[in-house]
Parts: sequence; structure tokens; C-alpha cells
Amino acid sequence: MITDVQRLTVVTGDSGETTRLRKGALSLLAHGLLTLASILMLYPLLWMLSASFRPENEIFTATSLWPSSWSIQSYIRGWTGLRIGFDTFFLNSLIIAVLAIIGNLATCSLAAFAFARLEFRGRRFWFAMMLGTLMLPYQVTLIPQYVLFHQLGWVNTFLPLVVPKFLAADSFFIFLMVQFFRGLPKELDEAAMMDGCSPWRIYWKILLPLSTPVLATAAIFTFIWTWDDFFAPLIYLSDIRTYTVQLALRTFVDSSAESDWGGLFAMSTLTLVPVFIFFLVFQRLLIEGIATTGMKR
Amino acid sequence: MASAPSHEVAQGGSVAGAAAPSWWAAARSKNGPGYLFLLPWFIGFFGLTLGPILISLYLSFTDFDLLTAPHWNGGANFVRIFTADAKFIQSMRVTLFFVIVSVPLKLAFALGVALLLNRGMRGLPIYRAIFYLPSLLGASVAIAVLWRQLFAGNGLVNQFLLNFGIVGPSWISNPRYSLWTLIALAVWQFGSPMIIFLAGLRQIPLDMYEAASLDGAGRWRMFRKITLPLLTPVIFFNAIIQTIEGFKSFTPAFIISGGTGNPINSTLFYTLYLYQEAFGFFRMGYASALAWILLVIVALFTSFSFLTSKYWVHYDN
Amino acid sequence: MTTLHRRQFLLGSAAALAAGAISPAFAADAKLRLLFWGGKARADRTFIATDLFSKANPGVTIDGEFMAFQDYWAKLGTQTAGGNAPDIIQMDYRYIVEYAIRGGIAPLDEFVGGALQLDDFDKDQLDGGKVNGKLYGISLGANSVALMVNEAAFKEAGIELPGRELSYEDLPALAAKFNAANKRPGMKLFQDGSGVEPALENWLRQRGKALYTADGKAAFDAQDMTDWFKLWSDLRAADVIVSAEDQALDATDAIENTMITLGKATTTFANSNQLIAFQAVNKDPLTMTNFPRIKAGSGGGHYRKPSMFFSIGGTSANKELSAKFINFFISDPEAAKALGVERGIPCKASTREVIAPTLDAQSKIALEFVSNLGDLLGPLPPAPPANAGEVSTQLRTTSQEVAFGQTSPEDAGPAFFDQASATLARAKKG
Repeated sequence: MITDVQRLTVVTGDSGETTRLRKGALSLLAHGLLTLASILMLYPLLWMLSASFRPENEIFTATSLWPSSWSIQSYIRGWTGLRIGFDTFFLNSLIIAVLAIIGNLATCSLAAFAFARLEFRGRRFWFAMMLGTLMLPYQVTLIPQYVLFHQLGWVNTFLPLVVPKFLAADSFFIFLMVQFFRGLPKELDEAAMMDGCSPWRIYWKILLPLSTPVLATAAIFTFIWTWDDFFAPLIYLSDIRTYTVQLALRTFVDSSAESDWGGLFAMSTLTLVPVFIFFLVFQRLLIEGIATTGMKR
Repeated sequence: MASAPSHEVAQGGSVAGAAAPSWWAAARSKNGPGYLFLLPWFIGFFGLTLGPILISLYLSFTDFDLLTAPHWNGGANFVRIFTADAKFIQSMRVTLFFVIVSVPLKLAFALGVALLLNRGMRGLPIYRAIFYLPSLLGASVAIAVLWRQLFAGNGLVNQFLLNFGIVGPSWISNPRYSLWTLIALAVWQFGSPMIIFLAGLRQIPLDMYEAASLDGAGRWRMFRKITLPLLTPVIFFNAIIQTIEGFKSFTPAFIISGGTGNPINSTLFYTLYLYQEAFGFFRMGYASALAWILLVIVALFTSFSFLTSKYWVHYDN
Repeated sequence: MTTLHRRQFLLGSAAALAAGAISPAFAADAKLRLLFWGGKARADRTFIATDLFSKANPGVTIDGEFMAFQDYWAKLGTQTAGGNAPDIIQMDYRYIVEYAIRGGIAPLDEFVGGALQLDDFDKDQLDGGKVNGKLYGISLGANSVALMVNEAAFKEAGIELPGRELSYEDLPALAAKFNAANKRPGMKLFQDGSGVEPALENWLRQRGKALYTADGKAAFDAQDMTDWFKLWSDLRAADVIVSAEDQALDATDAIENTMITLGKATTTFANSNQLIAFQAVNKDPLTMTNFPRIKAGSGGGHYRKPSMFFSIGGTSANKELSAKFINFFISDPEAAKALGVERGIPCKASTREVIAPTLDAQSKIALEFVSNLGDLLGPLPPAPPANAGEVSTQLRTTSQEVAFGQTSPEDAGPAFFDQASATLARAKKG
């Protein structure tokens, strides 16, 4: 917070009574706008929350946000309904997400460093290849990939979901980090090499510490996307004890048969809690980073 | 955090001349370190990614039906796609329209809100979290129900419009407007590019603003002369990524139209059509051909962006 | 890819050999994988049955996995293509031909009389599981199409519930009566059925036609389709059915999006085993009746359709044990009680007797409805050919084109017929 305030004064550079007043009015206006927008953003989630407490036969016709009667039955039913408690699914999702974060941060930053900072033959070619893997719809590589993982004996384990992350398979993050690394002053490297630093030391001691915002961004996205991912777990996990939360959620509803909509909305709401907390915690890291180091260029 | 070494280094840098130690020049000119840092990626690329990609290329020249061995049928898939497939044209039209409209809108929203939320104001973390919340929902089944609550004939949007005497259509199920509700969904989930913009804004050194403000630059001038140019690598990134993702967009239409792309194929996204062909109608070979056509289109677009990026993206070197 | 296939084949046959060598009978510690679609309610019932089977056969475990219908086919397709198909596969009437002709599921004839005891199994249901004369699926229940009806809406309006004799010709008059007395804002008498394939099939059958011939061609002509689209256009003009916009909210006949659930119509075309599922998301009490007749006295549109099958994976190493499980599933009294009529009316007479006294009110309605179709009942049509799913998709799209006024019934009829014929022909070439 402090840095935010400092930043503002520095950025605007204004002073005096009138500007302060003007600023107060502006801030009020900004708050008003932001609150209004927040309600707009939040409405669907509030609706979901209310649906989770609503009698099931009201969910699809009710127009008001306020349920006619409140009940936590959906939560109880949802948590225990699948023979295995939802705690197992939360744990599975958490394990996969944490491993994915470690893998992505470690290996994507290595690759990004190579693409952004090192000279080597074929760099442009490999960079194009890397981006190319981003462009093919996954639906058509699914089956060959499944065959591969099946031959390796990895089906029905977390390995197909986690190992690729440790092999920098997520081009999105490589590209993201490349863009940020390239934004860092190149004199840093040149100065470091004067001091006799190896590329590894430049990567580890200079670039990474200055890259907190992008690393935090990568961590947040990895967590959320892994947490929300549905298709890969659907294909690779079969044993319900290995299910992730998203996979478990999809078992509540089958549109041709009797479904548990209340349970779906109740558990969907609960599933949002960990991601939301994770986001709140990690976004603080976004605020730190180079902007606060006062580095000279 | 880590300010000490960077400071030291930066000062060293300002003193340093052009002459570098010879071992470093040698190391740089050699390829060793580059390939070493890329090692995990190479293992993944050759071990996990490349094989399936090449196989899908092979399959695009076959009649693979998921259940029996593929048979080579030459370019028959491609011939059919380009000469006799109305759904290909329709899905391409839908997707292009979606990309052209939703990507700039989403980026504008993300950048605008990021700029707003970057300023010193009370409660910013809360706002940031709230604006990111819709993106947390991802492709949850709940979205389909939610979107109908908003955009059906008696949905919230029309109830609001009624205050002004406007009787709105059923946006989500009218072929004239249904694609717009999906664009609205894409724009509503602007959280990811917003976060990337925020991170980018944080990377702009504060002292540049200090120097500019000493020179008497106003806010708008600083935005144009400092923020915008230094943000171009991130803008470039977001534009490329959102476009690629836009072309590949699948889940919103899959969930909201129940996988059909209706009404009247008005939300038949390219990858949705591809998915129907592959898993609904057992034509994985044909779907692979569709996928490779998409790859070529996206790759052309991306290469073009990279070529033009020389003129507007500013890296620090 | 070919090498992979060969390898899978070798692996598969090696496993089969090994299994055969070790276990002439059902050796201990076998594990069967079961894949089915459905919601939680179906899963709960199914898992009681699998537990009972494991108890009766010590050492045999069944790993059951379930998911929504929409997700099911991608997973099954991937597993099958990847050489890792489940042992027991829940199969849909629409896809059984596709999987059978490609070897994705195995013929079951060798087990009939052995592991599969089908003596008092309904003949029509047994035939429903046959493809090219071989048995590929055991029907888990008989179903019929049925019209869900909102009882409360009719009572409030003071109008008699639509009954067995209702015909399409009666609809305009009934709608006029209903619209005059209706207390529910925005509720129409009928959904728009022009894009609902089972409604079209039912109507065609009453005309002495059908959807498909046994050799996989269209069994209707362009004129039939023009009449069909015209029928619904007239009903739309007469204010009998919901608007095009409202009907388009229902993209896939998903229960939660149907016109009855959304309160847009008093009725919805559905299946007889879905009453409980419909009731769960509807506040008003529902009941069900038959689809309308095309005119007074016409019948034969309905048939007892296998709601779904259990099939055995083409590469399963435990085919006989899987067959034994299927047999248990359709005939064990305790399992039958747990399963009820959730997948449709059981096809074995003995099983029906066991469960009859244990059913709740809604299940009884379903049982009685399917058992007493009388003159409405016609013969079982041949199983839908390959690409039938695509034709059904095209029907929905064309019906919307007519409803939204982009084309006329006169143009849509021939256009749809040509498109459907081309789609069906494409399957036969490939």
C-alpha cells in the first residue's frame, strides 16, 4: 500500500490545496465507478452463491437473488455425495497445482532466459517451434499423446498432468517470461559478465530476483488454470480417488438424467475459495519487484 | 528484494566500457549455454510434444475414425474442406468475427482497468481480486446457467432495458445476437491480460517518471512517452496470445451451446466444429486436417505480427 | 501410428493369452473397468449393484467410473483409440453401430446361454442390441418417448389434461382454450418440436414411414420433411408453440433447458424414464403421456427403445467375466431393486416382477406407461446407421432456420433431405 501512495505522488507530482480537493473528488468518482463495476462483475457469482442455498426446483426459474428458503443441504450432500469426501479432491487438485507451479516456474524461466538473453545458433527457429506448439488445437494431439502416456504406464496417475510442466511444455509461460526478461536492461548482463559471472549466475542472481512480478503472474495463472483444468484430468484420470475438484464437479450433473444441481453450485462455490485465497496472497508479489527497488538505468 | 546486487551491478554497468573478457565473448558466441538452458524444453519437445504433433499431421492425410487403423487418403480431407464444406466456411467466419471483435475489446478493458488499479488508492487489492474473480470461474458448468440468467428473453439484461421501455430479444438464443453474448463472456473474463498488464506496469522503473516529472511532463505526456512505449512488449504479448487463444476458443461455445454451435450454427467456433468432427462424428483424420489449416492461419498471422513488431515494440536494447 | 497399433494388438493378444492360460474359470483378483454416463443418482444405484457383484464374487473388483453424457464420448473414444478401452461400456442406441462395425465393442453371442442367461429377456430389446445379426449390447431397460406435462398449469387454467387421444389436429383448438384461461405469463401449450428427432420419428412412423431403412438410408422423402416443417410453422402461426428464440434456449434437450423446466410451455418431448429427473428441477407436479397422434385413430408411432446398453470392450481381456457381470446386473434381485427403473424398464420378466412392488409413484407411472402403450406401439426400427447423430444435428439447425424465418418449409424440406442423404452416404463410403 505504501508503495502505491508513494507512486501516486511521484507520478502526478502535484501539490497544493486545490489539487488535493480535486484529487479527493476524483478518487470518490473512481471508487464509485469501481464499485459499480464490481457489482457487475460479481452478480453471476452472487447468483451462484444464492443457487447453492436454494431449493433445487427453484434454480432454473427463480428471478430474484434471494432464495425463498435457505438450506445448507446442498453443501452436505455435495461434500459427501460421491462416496469419497470432497477433501480428497481438494487435496488431489492441490498436489497437481503445486507441482505444476514448481515445474512451470523452474523450467519455463530457464527456457525463457535462453531465448531472451543468450545467443546461440537456431535461436529464432526454436523460438518459432516453441510458439508453434501453442497454435495447434489440443483436440487433435490428444489421442497420440494418450497412446504415448498409456505406453509409458502413466494413465490413471498424476504424471501426464505434471511431468510436461517440468519439461517446459507450456509455451505460454515461456513466451510471457521472454517478454519480461527482454524488458530488463541489458546492461545488467554486460556488467555482470565484466564481474566474471556465468550465465547461470546471471539467471539466478540477477534476472530472477528482478522478475518477481512475472514469476508471481506465472504462479497465479498456473495455479488457477491447473485448478480449473477439466479436459486433461477427464482423459487421464479414471479412479475416482484420483479425481480433481473440476472432474468431481462434472459428475454432479448429467443433462439426460437425474442431477444434483444444488450440490454442483454448492461445491462450485467452495472450489472458488482456494483459488481466491491464492490470488489474494500472491497478488501482493505483483506489487513488489523492480518498481520498488529504485534501480537506476 | 535483491536491490543490493542489482544496484551494484547497475553501477558497474554504467562504468563499464565495451570491452568484455574474452571467455565471455567466447561463451556467448558458442551455443553451449543456450542449449543447456533449453535442455528441459528440448526433452519435453522431442519426448512429449513433437511426436503427437507429427502424428496429427500424418492423420490429416488419412481417414482415421478413432476405432480402426488409419488409411492414407491423400489430400482428400483438404479437398473436401476447401470445396465442399459449408460448415468450415461458417465456422471460420464465426471465429474470425469473434477474434476481431473480442480481442481488441478484451485488451482495451484489461489495459484500462490495469491502469486504473495500478494507482495508489485504498482497497486496490480487493478491487483487483474482484475483477479477476470472473476469470477464476474458467469454464465451469455453472457459467452456462449463469449466462442464460443474464441474456435470455426474461433475463437480467432485458429486465434492465425494460426500465427504458426497451423490449430486448433473447440475446443468447437469437442467431443474430448469440455470438455477441459469447464475446461478452470473453470480455468479462479479462482478468488474465489485466494481471499481465499490471505486472508489466510494475516493471517500469519509477525513476523514469521522477525524471520526467522534473522536466515538467504532465500525466498524459508521461503515459504516452513512458508508460505506453515501455509497455509495448507486454501489449505485444497479450495481443499475440489473445489472438491465438481466440482462434482456438472452444469452451465458452461448448458449454453455452451444449456443444452444438447453435442457434443456426451462429456460435459454431472453429475448434468446436473440429471437436464435433473428431469425437461426435468419428472423423479424426478430417479434424486433424482442420487443425492444421488453423495452425497455418494462426502461424501466418503471428509471423506477420512479429515482422511488424520491429516498428512498434520497444525492448530495452 | 501403424506400429503403435500393431504393438497394441500384440500387447492385447498377449494379455488375452495370459489371462486365458492362468484363468480358465474366474480366477481371484480380477479387476473390471466399467464406464458409464449419468448423474449422481444413477451412480449411487450402479455402485450398489457393483458392490453386490463383488460380494458374490470374492476377488473381483469393479472400478466404476461415470461422467456426463457430453464428456463421455471424448473419453471413451480416446481410451478406445489408445488401446485402453474399459471392459464394460455403457453404450447408446445412437452409437452402437459405429462402435460395433469398427470393433470397438465385442460380439456377445458366444456367451449367450452361458454367462448370459437371456431366456426371459424381451425379444424386441434383444434385437435392439444386434448389429448385422450379431449381439453387441444388452439393453438395460426399455423406454418409450413420452410427453412431460405440467399438471398444475392445466389445473389452474381449468382445462383437462391432454390424454391418450390427443392429436396434432386438436392442438390449435386446445391452445386457444389454454391461452384464454392460462394464468402463467409467457407459457405456451407446446414446445416447438420441429427440431426434435424423436418427435419427427414418431410422426413419420404414424405415416407409415421411418427415419432410416435397415441399410442405412433415409426412409422418408423431401415431401415428408416439407410437411413436417409446415406442420410446426402453422402451429407457430396459431400461437400454439413457443417462439423460435425461446426454443433455441434448448440446444440439446438437456432437462434443465427444456421448455417445461423453464416455464415456457406446458409440455416437453422426452423419454419415459426421465420423469423423476424432470420432477427434480420442476416446482409444479408433472405427469406424462404419449406423443400426439397425427390424426384421430392413428397409432404405431411409439416403440420400446433400448434406453442404453452394456457392451464389452473389443480388447477386453476379461470378456467372459464381464458378461457374467452384465448378467448379474440385469437379473440379480437385490441389484434390480437398487437399480429400479432408472435406466428404463428392466427387460427380463423375472426382474420386472421383483421390482414392481418396490417402486415409488413416479417409477410406477413410467412402468405402466411403457407396459400399456397398446395401439400406440409399433415395431422396433433398425438401429440408427452411422452418421445418424450428424443428421440429428442437421435437423435441429434446419428447424431453427425455418423458425427464425431464414427459409420456408417448402425450401427446407428438400434441402434437409438432400443434406441428410449426403451425410448418410458419406458414412458408407468411409
